[in-house]
Amino acid sequence: MIKKDLSVDFLGVHFENPFLLSSSPVGNCYEMCAKAFDEGWAGVAFKTIGPKHFKVDEVSPRFDELTKEGTPFVGFKNMEQIAEHPLEQNLHDLKKLKENYPTKIIIASIMGTNEQDWEELAQLVTEAKADMIEMNLSCPQMTSHDMGSDVGTNPELVKKYCAAVRRGSDLPILAKMTPNITDMVPAAKASMDGGADGIATINTVKSIANLDIDRKTALPTVDGKGSVSGFSGKAVKPIALRFIQQLREAAGMEQLPISGIGGIETWQDAAEFLLLGATTLQVTTSVMQYGYRIVEDMKNGLMHYMEEQGIDHLSEIIGAANKSIVPVDSLNRDYKVYPKIDWDKCIGCGRCYISCFDGAHQAIQWNEEARRPTVDIDKCVGCHLCNLVCPVGAISTGEVVMKPGREGNPEDIKIESPRLTHF
Amino acid sequence: MTKKYETEAPGYTMTTVMEEAARCLLCHDAPCSKACPADTDPARFIRSVRFNNVKGAAETIRENNALGAICARVCPTEKYCELACSRTGIDCPIDIGGIQRYVTDFEQAAKMDILKQGKSNGKHIAIVGSGPAGLQVATTMLTKGYAVDIYEKNEKAGGYLTYGIPEYRLPNDIVEYEIKRIINLGANIHYNTTVGDDIMMDDLKANNDAVVVAVGASESKVLPMFADNENVETAVGFLARVKEAKGNITDLPENAVVIGGGDVAMDVATTLRRLDVKNVTDMAYEEFDEFKASKKELKGTREAGVTIVDGYVPTAVNGNEVTFKHRHIDSEMTIKSNKIILAVGQRVNAANLNITIDKHEEVPYAGYGTADPKVFVTGDIAQGDKTVVWAVRKGKEVAEQIDKMIMGSTKEADLVGGNE
Ligand SMILES: Cc1cc2nc3c(=O)[nH]c(=O)nc-3n(C[C@H](O)[C@H](O)[C@H](O)COP(=O)(O)OP(=O)(O)OC[C@H]3O[C@@H](n4cnc5c(N)ncnc54)[C@H](O)[C@@H]3O)c2cc1C
Ligand SMILES: Cc1cc2nc3c(=O)[nH]c(=O)nc-3n(C[C@H](O)[C@H](O)[C@H](O)COP(=O)(O)O)c2cc1C
Ligand code: SF4
Ligand code: SF4
Ligand code: SF4
Repeated sequence: MIKKDLSVDFLGVHFENPFLLSSSPVGNCYEMCAKAFDEGWAGVAFKTIGPKHFKVDEVSPRFDELTKEGTPFVGFKNMEQIAEHPLEQNLHDLKKLKENYPTKIIIASIMGTNEQDWEELAQLVTEAKADMIEMNLSCPQMTSHDMGSDVGTNPELVKKYCAAVRRGSDLPILAKMTPNITDMVPAAKASMDGGADGIATINTVKSIANLDIDRKTALPTVDGKGSVSGFSGKAVKPIALRFIQQLREAAGMEQLPISGIGGIETWQDAAEFLLLGATTLQVTTSVMQYGYRIVEDMKNGLMHYMEEQGIDHLSEIIGAANKSIVPVDSLNRDYKVYPKIDWDKCIGCGRCYISCFDGAHQAIQWNEEARRPTVDIDKCVGCHLCNLVCPVGAISTGEVVMKPGREGNPEDIKIESPRLTHF
Repeated sequence: MTKKYETEAPGYTMTTVMEEAARCLLCHDAPCSKACPADTDPARFIRSVRFNNVKGAAETIRENNALGAICARVCPTEKYCELACSRTGIDCPIDIGGIQRYVTDFEQAAKMDILKQGKSNGKHIAIVGSGPAGLQVATTMLTKGYAVDIYEKNEKAGGYLTYGIPEYRLPNDIVEYEIKRIINLGANIHYNTTVGDDIMMDDLKANNDAVVVAVGASESKVLPMFADNENVETAVGFLARVKEAKGNITDLPENAVVIGGGDVAMDVATTLRRLDVKNVTDMAYEEFDEFKASKKELKGTREAGVTIVDGYVPTAVNGNEVTFKHRHIDSEMTIKSNKIILAVGQRVNAANLNITIDKHEEVPYAGYGTADPKVFVTGDIAQGDKTVVWAVRKGKEVAEQIDKMIMGSTKEADLVGGNE
C-alpha cells in the first residue's frame, strides 16, 4: 500500500491529513468522533455549540434527497439546527476528545445570538482545550434571525461577532461562510477585519429539493407543511468551488487560508478543493450516506495522485489552479476543435445525433442504414455536447482549426487531458 | 481458425465498471468479503472503484492475492463471493469477477508495482511445483524477506494456469504477467527440473529452511477399459497441447466424444467446438441436478453447441465405439466417433517425494504439515477445494505457518544467545 505524507499546516496547527468531519450530526458526540478518528480522519469541526439560553427543538423527519435516474443523494436537504446536546455535555466531549486523541484536531464550532454569547462561547471552548474555533455564521434554517445565514450575509454583524470571539479567545478562528450570497468577498473580508484567521466555506445552500405534489408542499413534510432549508452533497460542489476560487482571486486574499467544504466524497473532489486553495477539507453529506470509511479511499487516492504529480507535500499543490482560472473574456476564442468519432467504439445509439440536433447545431449526420454518425464540419461549432452524451466514449476532441482570419498555430493549443480517462 | 479459441470475452470500460460498482450496496460487514476463500476483500475493492480510487482497489487485490488477475477470470464466483452477495435480495449478485478483472487490467495498464520484496532475513525455502499454490507461497515468502527457489518439472511455470485452463477463459498473456511479477519480486524458478528425479528431496532439505510440495494433480486418470486405445486422449493432455500451440493444432477430429461432467470436460468440449470440430458430445456421469461443472462453464459449453448427455457411464468400448448406460434408468447408447477424450479426473504423481496421497488425490489429513517437520504440502494436494483461489488461500496459509515456525524458532534461539 502506498505511503505518502498527507499532513498539512493550517493556521499554525498541524493536521495529519486534510480530512475533517464538518460541523453536523457526523461529529455530534464523543463516540462518533472517536470512531471517525480511529478510521483515519484528522480532526473534527464538532457540531455547532450554541448559547445555553437558545433551545434547540428539531422537526421530524428532517431530510430529503435529490435523485437523478438511478442515483440517490445527488443532493441532500436538511432542516437541522445546531447541537441538541446540553452545553456542558458538549464541552465535556471536546475536552475528552483532546485528552484521548491529542494528535487529532478538535475545532469547536460555535454560534451566538449577540456579542456577549459569542465571546462567552469562545472562552468556554478555549477552556475545553479545543485547537481552533469555527464561527457558524451560515446555518440557513435557524429559528432566530439573530443567528445563522442571516448574520453571515451582513458584513457589519460578521465583523462585530468576529471581534467578540477574538476577545474571548486567542485560538485560531475560522469564519464559516454562507453561499446564500452573491459575492462572498465582503463578508469574508469583514470577518478577517474582525479578527478571524481564515475562512471555512460553504455551509448549505437554501433550497427546495422536491415537492410532495399531492399535499402540495415542500419535502420533507412536517405535519403537512414544508420549508426552505439547506442543501448539501455532490450537487453543491460546483458552488463551493466557485466561491473558493472567487475568494482567492480577490485583491489581497490570494493566500487566504481556507477550509473547503461542499460535496466532497472522493479523492478527486479533495484534489479539486486543494488545487483551488483549500488547505483542509470538511465533509458531512457523503459521511451521512456512506459512513466514516470513505476517508480510506480519499486518503489512499490522494497519495496516488501525489505520486503521479511527483510531489511530497500537499502544500505544493494548494492553490495551484487559481492562476489558470481566468475571467471568461480572457479565454482563447480564436479556434475551435471538432469532435472525432471512433466508429469502432460507436454502438450506433444515435444519442449524439439527437443531442446535436435538439440541443446544438444540427451538425451530426445520421446514416440510417449503417446507424453511424458523421460530423458536418460546416455546421459544427465544436461545442462538444455530443462528446458528453455518448455512452461509450466514442467521441473525443479531434482536429483543431483556427477561426477564419485568426492568428495562431493549432498545434500549440492544448486540448486534451493527460489523464487516463478512457481505459 | 484459432480466433474463437483465443478471444476472451470483452471486459468492462471505465463507464460500465462504475455502473456495475454502483449496483453494489456497500454492505456493512460485507458477506462477499467473508466468502472469498483467499480474503481478496471484494467489498473493499469495489468500494474503492466506486469512489474513483482504482489504484487503491488494485492494492487491495494484489496485497491479498498474488494471482488477482487470474482469479478475476477463473474463480467459480457463484460458489464463493457472489453466492453470498446481498444484492441477490434485489435481483442478481454484483459481477465481482468482472470488476476485479477491470481493476487488475488497470493495474497492468498503469504499470503498477504493488508488492515489494521484504528485507532479506537470510532464510531460504524451496517450492516444488510452480502452479498457483507454489506461486502464492513464493510471493508471500518473498514479501517477508525469504529467498525462494521454485523447482518446476515443465518448461514453463504456472501449472494448470499455463497448461490447462483454455486461452478464451484465461489468456496466456495474463498468466505470463502474473508470473513475471513474481519473478521480478525475486523468485528463482528452475525449469525442466523434476524433484524426485533430477534433484532429490534430501538435497532441497539440506539447502533450505523449509520445503513446500505443491505438485498438484498433474496427470489424467484413465479408466482401465480405455488403456492403450489409440482413439483415446486425456483431457489435460489435449488442453495442454492446444494451449501451447495457441489453438493451431492439425490433427483435429471431425467429431468427438468427451467423457466427464466437470469443468475440465466443459473446457475440452468447448475448446473442440471453438476449434470448429463439428459434432461434440459430452457424456456426463452426473445428472444435471448434481452437476459438477460451474453454471458459467455449463452455460458456455451449451452456447458453444456441445451436446451434453447427463447420467451416463461408459460400460464397454470397442475401438472408436463406446457404449454408455444410464445410471438409473434402463437406457443404453453407443456412439462412434473419431476421438474419445477422457475428463474423468486428475491424479497426483508424488514419486520419490516421500508424501502420502490417498484415493482422494490429497494428503490423508487436514493442514499442511508432513511427517518431516521441514516439509509441507499445499495446493490441490492439501485438503480443501481444488480451485485456483483455494490454491492461493492454501499458499498464504502454509507460508504463514512456515514463517511462524522459522522465525518463531529464530526468536527463541536469539533469546538463548543464538548459535552463531
Ligand atoms: C482444465 C482445467 C480447468 C480448470 N479450471 C479452473 C477454473 O476455471 N477455476 C479454478 O479455480 N480452478 C480451475 N481448475 C483447477 C485449478 O487449476 C487447480 O485447482 C490448481 O491449478 C491447483 O494448483 P496447484 O498449484 O496445487 O497445482 P497445479 O496447477 O497442478 O501445479 C502443479 C505444478 O507442479 C509441477 N510438478 C508436478 N510434479 C512435480 C515434480 N515432481 N517436480 C517439479 N514440479 C512438479 C507441475 O508441472 C505443475 O506446474 C482447472 C483445472 C483444470 C485441469
Ligand atoms: C444534517 C446537517 C446538519 C448540519 N449542521 C451544521 C451545523 O450544526 N453547523 C454548521 O456549521 N454546519 C452544519 N451543516 C453544514 C455542513 O457542515 C456542511 O457545511 C455542508 O453540509 C456542506 O458539506 P457537505 O456537502 O459535505 O455536506 C449541516 C449539514 C447537514 C447536512
Ligand atoms: S436513522 Fe436511526 S435515528 Fe434516524 S429515524 Fe432511522 S433509526 Fe431513527
Ligand atoms: S452517441 Fe456515441 S455510440 Fe451513440 S451513435 Fe453517437 S458516437 Fe455512436
Ligand atoms: S455483498 Fe454484494 S452488495 Fe454487499 S458489498 Fe459485497 S458485492 Fe456489494
